[in-house]
Amino acid sequence: MPGLDGVTIAIVLLGIGLLGLVLRRDLVMKLLSLGVVDASVILCLIALGARRQGAPPILQPSAAAPYVDPLPQALVLSAIVINFALVALALVFVMLLVERYHTTDPERIEREIAAEEEER
Amino acid sequence: MRRVSSVLAVAAVLLIVGLCAALLLLFGYDGPAAHAGAPYLDRAARDTGAANLVAGIVFDYRFYDTLFEILVFGVAVLGVRFALAQEAPSATAEPIPESRIVRISADLLFGPILLLGAYLILHGHLSPGGGFAGGTVAGTGLLLCAVALGADRVAAFLHEGLLERLEWLILFAILFVALLPTLLGLAPLTGLLPRGVVGRPASAGPVLLLNVLVGAKVFIGAWAVIYAFSRHRGEI
Amino acid sequence: MIAALLPLLHLLWGSLSLAWGRRARAIAWVALLGDVVLLGLLWPRILAGSEVRLALGGWGPGLGIAVVADKTALWFTILLVFLEGGVLSYLRRTTLAPVFFMLLHLLLGAALALLFSRDLFNIYVILELLTFVSYLLVGYERRSGQIWAGLKYLILASVGMNLYLLGVAVVYYHTGTLDLTLLSSRLPAQAPWIPLAAALLAGGIAVKAGIFLYSLWLPRAHASAPPAVSALLSGLVIKMGIVVLLRLAPIFPLRTALLVLAGLTGVAGILYAYVALDLKRILAFHTLSQIGYLLFGIGLGTPAGLLGATEYAVSHGLFKALLFLAAGTAVNATGQRAVPGLIRERHRIPRSTRLALLIGTLGIVGLPPLAGFCGKATLCADLPSAFLLALPLLFTLGTALSFSKLVPLFILSPGPSAPTGQATAYAVLGLPILLFLPAVRPLLSATEWAVALHPLPFAETIGAIVLGALAYRFFPSRRLPLPRRLFRLEEAILTLLAGVLFILVLCLVS
Repeated sequence: MPGLDGVTIAIVLLGIGLLGLVLRRDLVMKLLSLGVVDASVILCLIALGARRQGAPPILQPSAAAPYVDPLPQALVLSAIVINFALVALALVFVMLLVERYHTTDPERIEREIAAEEEER
Repeated sequence: MRRVSSVLAVAAVLLIVGLCAALLLLFGYDGPAAHAGAPYLDRAARDTGAANLVAGIVFDYRFYDTLFEILVFGVAVLGVRFALAQEAPSATAEPIPESRIVRISADLLFGPILLLGAYLILHGHLSPGGGFAGGTVAGTGLLLCAVALGADRVAAFLHEGLLERLEWLILFAILFVALLPTLLGLAPLTGLLPRGVVGRPASAGPVLLLNVLVGAKVFIGAWAVIYAFSRHRGEI
Repeated sequence: MIAALLPLLHLLWGSLSLAWGRRARAIAWVALLGDVVLLGLLWPRILAGSEVRLALGGWGPGLGIAVVADKTALWFTILLVFLEGGVLSYLRRTTLAPVFFMLLHLLLGAALALLFSRDLFNIYVILELLTFVSYLLVGYERRSGQIWAGLKYLILASVGMNLYLLGVAVVYYHTGTLDLTLLSSRLPAQAPWIPLAAALLAGGIAVKAGIFLYSLWLPRAHASAPPAVSALLSGLVIKMGIVVLLRLAPIFPLRTALLVLAGLTGVAGILYAYVALDLKRILAFHTLSQIGYLLFGIGLGTPAGLLGATEYAVSHGLFKALLFLAAGTAVNATGQRAVPGLIRERHRIPRSTRLALLIGTLGIVGLPPLAGFCGKATLCADLPSAFLLALPLLFTLGTALSFSKLVPLFILSPGPSAPTGQATAYAVLGLPILLFLPAVRPLLSATEWAVALHPLPFAETIGAIVLGALAYRFFPSRRLPLPRRLFRLEEAILTLLAGVLFILVLCLVS
């Protein structure tokens, strides 16, 4: 069983991110925690394809060490762009809500929206 | 009531993550896999003509994925613009304070940042980098300018309408590069340009072209998102 | 080649709609025509052989991505085309920005791409695109309730997709491939990591597939979205999650888990729908419960079960979309969201809308020989044990019970005329429901794929429906002590995590 390693750190980060997502009372902090969860999964992907003392997968004539697996790195490229899109889009709606209700507390927003719907 | 459910939540998350971790580590994971990268490491450079094997995978073997990923990026920019289009710029936005240090550093750094972005884009098939990285670097260079000069001045200089049209053109160009080989009977999606010799600047077929297109798209998109957010910043 | 062209063309139409905003609506109709033509060309080739495969870039299975068109994909493409036509006619008189059409085309293109995909990571990227597009469509009118529902959807879907990606990582680590066809040959019969990978993959997809514990964002999001968007989401997007489960189930040991989840989501959805009074929320809860039939079919694993699940998914897409469109008109015409209010003001609802509600209800309840009944009958054609029949019959009873509160709406007295295009929309969606048995089913049953229609004897289904309606007379909507807190954001995330653990346990046991 390997010791301190990319995969172990990734799982710890996953736990931290999920805890933050569930426990934090602030929409922006929830989004940050979601970002941490994303980062942990990306780290896990890269770590699972890595090698001890591997070389980056760029073809070089004088390559001494074996190359690292390039496929997870390609997958991670897409994952990072998708996470960027996620944060941007979520932030936009959070901004709209904050401008209307002047709070970032999800419980207060939920209550105000429920109250509005009751009136209609 | 709140205290109890917080403890419960923490316990639940820790239990679940801990269990998955235990399963993964005890039964599944033994360090690096023996077969890691097997099909690609032998043939990627020959097949795609790119020295950067990751770029070869992203823009050649798995270009279909990358196409949707570009669309995801496009949807993000579209969504930001669309959702904020009808809101008035924030009334509580304070102007960014003038600072001589930032102004001078921006003057000095903007050129090199753009150059670095261009290098990353143009050499994406030979060294780490690529369209996404280079475009982001160049976009954040614009952010530096916005902080130094004021976002509205930079935006006035850049003509929003022109940028939007350029974005669609780039999307058309990318779809064109994807569809044309399919319709012409060449290898579907990626057969458009010759592969060339590995390691030369002009090699790797569509990878270079796509890097440039994607880099431009990310550059414009990153600026659009940054500008939209900066107009609507403010206090709660 | 057509399988690759179909989604890419939609992306092209989308970009065109943005560039040439004034003609966006015309472009959408051209797109529909294009889809029908291409589908007509693809159809005979799939019916002749069993699937059509194209390796993109000419790369082999271990290296690149392939698009594969098979009969399951064909069924769902038909659903997509009907929904496209229905939604476009419904929206004929609504003013829409070009952005809406771009999002619509992206949604359709992504759905088509998912149907033809057999690569785990490709599925991830396409599902994320679908998530973002649905998110923007739900918040299209920018009302606060919609924005909040959309945000909860986005956060939950992201957590789910991240778990799915972890599952992909585990699978890749152990097998070295992402392609589902290669995977089925490389997967060892027994390995300790398989239940973990299966739980992560299925749990992540479950968020998008509309299963009770995992998709707690669904009632709010589908109920507050604009009616055309709800129709597309409930009719099409949810089915995309089910399609992925259809692809995963033969490879991973998910059958017990799916059967248990089928029971859970079916019953829970019906209970919440029975208690709810807001019409659109009732329909959204019923989406959760009808997924129970689909999971039942996939969980059985027999050819009849899988075919039945596909057939029922298509039928459900049709009548749920019809119901949502009609409900949208009804709510707009009367200004009332709750069923008692709608019944009071029913003279203000156009007659075609009320007829559409009637047809949709008959479909969802499963009256023979309409669309819903055919799907359920195919599901139950080859049961390993006769006791399993109880589950679909129980669902039928519950659905009838819950929909009985709408009966006063079906009185077809004259009313105002519906806005232009809506009657056409109802016809486009309603006719295939009514004519499913004679017209749609024979079109798709090539000889080796057909499962002869073993109907539950008509009597059993009609019995369940009548029983449900009678039960409603004695138990009109009551307040049941159902947990409401589950639908809040934090609780929904916790139930999602617990749900993944639940699937893990069930996979270990099976």
